[in-house]
Amino acid sequence: MIKLENVTKVYKGDVVAVRDATVDIGKGEFVFLVGQSGSGKSTFIRLLNREETPEHGTIYVAGKDISSLGAWKVPYLRRNIGYIFQDFKLLPKKTVAENVAFALEVIGKPRHVIRKQVPAILELVGLADKMENIPTELSGGEQQRVSIARAFVNRPLILLADEPTGNLDPQTSVGIMKLLDRINRTGTTVVMATHDRGIVDTMRRRVIELDRGQVVRDQARGVYE
Amino acid sequence: MAISPIYALRETGQNLWRNFMLSFATIITIGVSLWLFGGFFLVNYAVDNATARWEGGIEFVIWMNPDASAEQDANIRNSLESPAISSFAYVDQDATYAEFVELFADTPEMYEVVTPEILPPSYRVIPTNPDADVVQELALQFADRPGVRDVVSADETIRQIQNQADEISRVFLIVSIILLIAATLLILTNVVSAIRSRGSEIEIMKVVGATNWFIRIPFMLEGLAQAMIGALGAWVGLFFLNNNVIAGLGDGDALELMRGFRVSDSEFYSTSVLMLGIAVIVSGIGSMVAVTRYLDT
Ligand SMILES: Nc1ncnc2c1ncn2[C@@H]1O[C@H](COP(=O)(O)OP(=O)(O)OP(=O)(O)O)[C@@H](O)[C@H]1O
Ligand SMILES: [Mg+2]
Repeated sequence: MIKLENVTKVYKGDVVAVRDATVDIGKGEFVFLVGQSGSGKSTFIRLLNREETPEHGTIYVAGKDISSLGAWKVPYLRRNIGYIFQDFKLLPKKTVAENVAFALEVIGKPRHVIRKQVPAILELVGLADKMENIPTELSGGEQQRVSIARAFVNRPLILLADEPTGNLDPQTSVGIMKLLDRINRTGTTVVMATHDRGIVDTMRRRVIELDRGQVVRDQARGVYE
Repeated sequence: MAISPIYALRETGQNLWRNFMLSFATIITIGVSLWLFGGFFLVNYAVDNATARWEGGIEFVIWMNPDASAEQDANIRNSLESPAISSFAYVDQDATYAEFVELFADTPEMYEVVTPEILPPSYRVIPTNPDADVVQELALQFADRPGVRDVVSADETIRQIQNQADEISRVFLIVSIILLIAATLLILTNVVSAIRSRGSEIEIMKVVGATNWFIRIPFMLEGLAQAMIGALGAWVGLFFLNNNVIAGLGDGDALELMRGFRVSDSEFYSTSVLMLGIAVIVSGIGSMVAVTRYLDT
């Protein structure tokens, strides 16, 4: 599903954020990206949805070489990749339902599809009774659920999450992880960057550790360190 | 890519409200610049129409009586065969009628009551020496001759009118071009500020896979909407300029020289279409630069 071959990403000022990474992630896998601050986790994730392009190496997503993808095709790539932010990035003036619907509206989904899929996904994330609330009326955990609903409403093949529990307390984080686990069990590949030792150690999924951009550990059913 | 018109309209409307003052300034600038631009064309058309008889160095016209005898006519023609006259052309009644019809093409009620027989034939004269005094004196020699109804000369006044109209319309053109540049920059600023104020929406759109065009179109429509509102205002102003100012000058009995100072309907419409085209181009450039510089990164 995701394959990196000798991928190197260098930012301006010669910062090597990812160095010669070779990783192969299969369909339906759940992968934790761990490593110290600045080790390149976010960069790794941004490379996967073409927010960044590598200086060297090749990246395949769903069998396609996305490092050489024409700029106009990038949106269509992203329709297959859900993205969850640490700070949720909900639109404050839109209701929960509108925030989720927005993701479908802007890729031109017809109205009747939106009307059906939005309540269904909000049901799945456990927010059926908060559809008409605005984000400030929700707890952090609930906001993150909305953000997950928005990322998953189009049923992407891949879900990328950059520290999705970074702004949440441990108990709320457990709820979010249960949700991501459920989504993963539907066959969605999940790649999640995290600092949360507890989560990684309880979930026991594949762990890829980065150190100054290099993959220093790639462990099935791994632990934080 | 399907972009629903409701989505686009709603987004455009919201964008317009968000920055009402700036939008207002932009619309006014576009309106005034387009009005001046259109005014340039209208004044030019009107001057051309008014002075058509004086093109190609013709300095005076001898209008004959429609019932002048052949003898009187021959007499005049004889006098025109003189070294003082470089050349002359005889415009018979049918040709005069044709000109008349052309000049009043849009107002059939004018030429329907006129027949060639009642129109005066004329001699259009190009003197050897175009000096105003000489022309004046030459023209006067014909004024009292039998069979002559009137002699009209393109004296200094006409030249002055032509020159002044040229000056005025040149100022119109220059000012309108400067304002059009300002309008383009204002549209650009507007679209950029709309883009800035919607940073989070744009970020989400990009991450969920909205196409570039889908993201761009509401912003570009905003620029277009401003230009169109401005163009509408300019058009109303142009309509007023044409119907009240230019037509008023052309109707005046007082100024023989201004006769024919008018703009035909087709000239007015082509000016309107041109104005609309300029509005589209200005908003296109402004918003295109804005979206390519500030949206696609
Ligand atoms: N847009 C950028 N331009 C230049 N340098 C960058 C950019 N983004 C990240 N970097 C640098 O690249 C390196 C890796 O950053 P990255 O954000 O990928 O780390 P991270 O592992 O996500 O860190 P954290 O755990 O703090 O989120 C850091 O040295 C960072 O300063
Ligand atoms: Mg990070």
